[in-house]
Amino acid sequence: MTFWPLLAAAALAGADTLTIPAGLDAYLPVPGSNPLTREKVELGKRLFFDTRLSRDNTVSCATCHDPQKAFTDDRPVGAGVGGRSGDRRVPRIVNRGYGKSFFWDGRAASLEEQVLQPIQNPKEMDLTLAEAASRTGVPVEKLQQALASYVRTILSGDSPYDRYLQGDRDALTAGQRLGLRLFRGKAGCTSCHLGPNFTDERFHNTGAGRAAGDGRYAATKDPRDRGAFKTPSLREAARTPPYMHDGSLQTIEEVIDFYDKGGKPSPSLDPEIRELHLTAEEKTALAAFLQALNGKVRDGM
Amino acid sequence: MRSGNAALALAAAFGWAAAELPPPAPRLVWSGPEVTLLGGPSRDGRHLSYVDAATGHLAIRDLASGRGRILTQKPAGSREFAYFSAISPDSRRVAYAWFNEEGYYDLRVVDLDGSNPRTLYRNEEAGFIQPCAWTPDSRSILTLLFRADNISQIALAPAEGGPPKVLRSLNWVYPKRMDISPDGRYIVYDSFAGESSGDRTLYLLSADGASEKKLLGAPGNYLFPLWTGKRVVYAGDRSGTMDAWELEIENGEPRGAPKLLRRDLGRILPLGITAAGDLYYGLRSGSVDVFVTTLSDPKGDARRVTLRFPGRNSMPDWSRDGKAIAYLSRRGSENFGQESRAIVIRRLDSEEERELLPKLAHLERVRWSPGGDALLASGSDNKGRGGLYLVNPETAAVRPLVSEAAASFRGFEGAWSSDGQRVLYPYHEQELRSRLVSGGSEATLYRGPRLHGLAVSPDGRWVAVGAGGKSIALIPAAAGEARLLPFDGLTELEWGRDLMAGRGAELWRIPLDGAAPLKLAGPGNRQAGFSLCPDGESIVLTAGNAKSEVWAVALK
Ligand code: HEC
Ligand code: HEC
Repeated sequence: MTFWPLLAAAALAGADTLTIPAGLDAYLPVPGSNPLTREKVELGKRLFFDTRLSRDNTVSCATCHDPQKAFTDDRPVGAGVGGRSGDRRVPRIVNRGYGKSFFWDGRAASLEEQVLQPIQNPKEMDLTLAEAASRTGVPVEKLQQALASYVRTILSGDSPYDRYLQGDRDALTAGQRLGLRLFRGKAGCTSCHLGPNFTDERFHNTGAGRAAGDGRYAATKDPRDRGAFKTPSLREAARTPPYMHDGSLQTIEEVIDFYDKGGKPSPSLDPEIRELHLTAEEKTALAAFLQALNGKVRDGM
Repeated sequence: MRSGNAALALAAAFGWAAAELPPPAPRLVWSGPEVTLLGGPSRDGRHLSYVDAATGHLAIRDLASGRGRILTQKPAGSREFAYFSAISPDSRRVAYAWFNEEGYYDLRVVDLDGSNPRTLYRNEEAGFIQPCAWTPDSRSILTLLFRADNISQIALAPAEGGPPKVLRSLNWVYPKRMDISPDGRYIVYDSFAGESSGDRTLYLLSADGASEKKLLGAPGNYLFPLWTGKRVVYAGDRSGTMDAWELEIENGEPRGAPKLLRRDLGRILPLGITAAGDLYYGLRSGSVDVFVTTLSDPKGDARRVTLRFPGRNSMPDWSRDGKAIAYLSRRGSENFGQESRAIVIRRLDSEEERELLPKLAHLERVRWSPGGDALLASGSDNKGRGGLYLVNPETAAVRPLVSEAAASFRGFEGAWSSDGQRVLYPYHEQELRSRLVSGGSEATLYRGPRLHGLAVSPDGRWVAVGAGGKSIALIPAAAGEARLLPFDGLTELEWGRDLMAGRGAELWRIPLDGAAPLKLAGPGNRQAGFSLCPDGESIVLTAGNAKSEVWAVALK
C-alpha cells in the first residue's frame, strides 16, 4: 500500500504566523514545496507592486488588483501595458489560498502555476520570465514562490455576516437576515455560493456574458463545460462592480435580476439556474445581504 | 466476566502457545430494545454514555452493574432530547448535543453524577452539532458543526464555553467520526476520497490548522477513525466485508502499512477506545423485509414479496393498478447515518424486479403517481437539500419538486392528489401545501402543529393528515372546514378502501364517521412503511427486527 500527502504539509516556518480573520478556516492549504515564510511574503508584496514587471514599466499586479478595491479594479475587463484590453474581468483575489483552481476557467492548478502567467501575457505585463528575473534581480523560481505566498495572505473576513454567524444577532439588519434566508432558501444561491468563502470552487454555466464564451470548455474540451465559469467568492463583491467574467452586469441589482429571470438560455445552462419569482422586497433584501459580506481585507504577515 | 479469560482457557485446552493465542473474542456489553448508539465509553472503561430511548434524556450506564442513570432534566411535555455525546478524558464530564426548545442543537456539558449542567454553545447557525472527543487537556471539545448552507465544520469548542474555533469546512459532506491524538496535535477524520468519489478515506489535520494530509490512498471505503496510543483504528471494506484496521502514526506521518485487526465485524459503529485498549462498538443486526398479506388475516398469510437482498428491504408502495410494488432496498457498505438505498420495482404479474439508482443522497420513501408514470420520492439530493423529488420509473432521472437546504435529509412527506396533477406535503410539519407538479404554483390547505402522516382518499375528496400527535385532520379537498378525528400516537396514514393508520407496530382502521378506530391483528414486528392494494383486501408492509447492540473487543 502506498501513501501520498496529496494535501501537502503546510506549516508556517518558525514563529511566522498568519492571522486568519473571523469566519475563515484556520486551515489554509499551503503546498509542501512552498511553505509560507515572512521573508517570501514580504518579497512577494514588493513584487506585487513593482511596475518593472511590465514591458513599459507602467503596470504592476496592483494596477489591476488594487488593494483599495479588494484587489480588483472597476473596469469590465483588465487593462494592461500600453492600454491593451484583456479578455476578462479582473477577479478579486481575496481568499484565493482556499481555492482549488485558478482563473475564471480554472486552467491553473495552483497559485504557483498562476502567478507567472500575467507577467508573460502580452495583454497584461508582456515580459519573458528571463526579463522579469533580470529586471528585479529575483530568480524566476523565487519570484514565483514569493508572489504565490503573498497572494495566499490576502484574506477577507470579519464581516457583519461573520459576526452574525458567531452569534451576534444584531450584526445583520432585519432586511439582511431576510436576504440570508432567501440566499439559502427560495433563491437557492447556496447551491453554488456556499461555505466560508461562498464558492463551491466548481464550474457552472449561468448564461452570463455578452457572448457565449468557451469558459471551462477551453480547459477540459468537454462540451458540457461550454460557457461554464468558476463560481467566484462573493466576499467584497457588493462594493466591487462590475460583475461576471466579462464585467457585463453593472450592479448587484442587475445580477439579482439576472438570476431572477433564470439566467440566460444556453444549451449547457446549469440546472440550478431557474426563474426565482422574487418580489421587489425580496430582491432588495438579497442585495442588502450581499453588502454584509464586505468585511476587512488584510494582506501580508 | 471478560471473555478474554474464555479465550485463554480455550487456548490452554488446545495447547496453543501464548504467541499463537487467537485474538480475543468480542464480548457483548449491552443488548435489548433500549440500546442506543449515540454515546461512547469513558476512558476508564467504567461507563458508557447513551440516550435513554424512552425519554430522550442523556444517560450513563455503569458497565459493571448494568445500571443506567439519567443525567439531564427538562420540563414535562418538552420535546427536547439529547443526541451525540463524548466523555472527558478524566471520565468526569460528558459533552453532549441537546435538541433545545427552539428546535436546534446546543453543545452542553454535565458531570457524570448529573451535577454542573452547562450550555457551552448555542447558535442557531450551527443547527446540528456532534461532539466527538475531548482534547487530552480537557480544555476543548472536538465538535462537528453542521451549517445551514450544508457544509460541515471541524471545530474546537472551548470547554469553558464560547464560540468554537473552526479548523476546516467541508462542502456537502460530514465526517462520520473524528478523534484527536493523545498528544493533542492531530485530528483524524473521514471524508470523501475525491471530488466525485462516494468512498471515504481518512485525513489527518493538525490541531492548529497548519496542515492536512490524506492518510490512505488504496481504493476502498475507510471510515470511523478512532485514536488509541500511536494508532488510528478504523473500519474499512477493502476485503469486501467491514473489517477493523489500524495504522500507526508518528509525528503526523503514517508508519508502515495498515494492519488488519479483525475481519468482518458486520454493520459496526465504533464508539470509543478505553485506556486499557478495548474498542467499544455498536452493531446493528436483524432483518427487515417487505411482505404482502391480507387485511383479514394479516398474521397468517404473509409472504415476502422481494426477490433479492433479503433483510434489507422496506417502505413499499403499491401502484394504483395493483400490478407493481415499489420499495426501498439498502445497498453498499455504509453502516450508519444516511445509507444508500435503491428503489426496486417489483412487477407482480411476472417474477421480475428492476432496480433504480436515482441521483439522490438519501431516499426516505417513494409513492407512485396515480398514472404510474412517476415516483414521488421523499429524501435529499447530493447537496444535502431535503425535499420531494420526482423519479422517472424507467430512467431513474430525478426532477426536484421542492428542495431546500433547511429541510431535514429525510425530506418532506408527500402524497399525490387523485388526478396526479398536484403533490401535497406538510411543509416543515406546519403547513399542508398543495403544489402543481407542472409549473410549481402552491396553495396552503391547512395549518397546524406537527403535521405528520398524510394520505389522500382515492376519490380525491378528502385529505387526511395527522395533527399534533393527537388527532387526524380530515380536510375536504374542495374547501370547507376540517374535521378532527381523535387518534393518539399516529405514525403513518394510508388510504385504500378505508383510511388506515399506523401507531408504532400497530395498524388501525379509522372510520370516517367518528366511530371508534378498530385495531387490526397485524404482525407485532411491523416497521414503518405500508401500502394498500386497490383490491381493498391486500396490504404490503414492512416487518422484521432491527436491533442494536454494544460490543467490546480488546485490541492489544
Ligand atoms: C492587466 C491586468 C492584470 C494584471 C497586471 C494582473 N492581473 Fe491577475 N488577473 C487579471 C485577470 C483579467 C484575471 C482573470 C483572467 C482569466 O481568468 O482568464 C486575473 C487572475 C488572477 C488570479 C486568479 C484569481 C482566481 O480567482 O482564479 C490571480 C491569483 C492573479 N490574477 C494574480 C496576479 C498577480 C500575482 C499579478 C502580477 C504578477 C497579476 N495578477 C497581474 C488581470 C490582471
Ligand atoms: C449554478 C451555480 C450558481 C448559483 C445557483 C448562483 N450563482 Fe452566482 N455565480 C455563479 C457563477 C459560475 C458565477 C460567475 C459567472 C460568470 O461570470 O460567467 C457567479 C457570479 C455571481 C456574482 C458576480 C460575482 C463577480 O465577482 O462577478 C454574484 C454577485 C452572484 N453570482 C450572486 C449570486 C446570487 C445572489 C445567487 C442567488 C440568487 C447566485 N449567485 C446563484 C454560480 C452560481
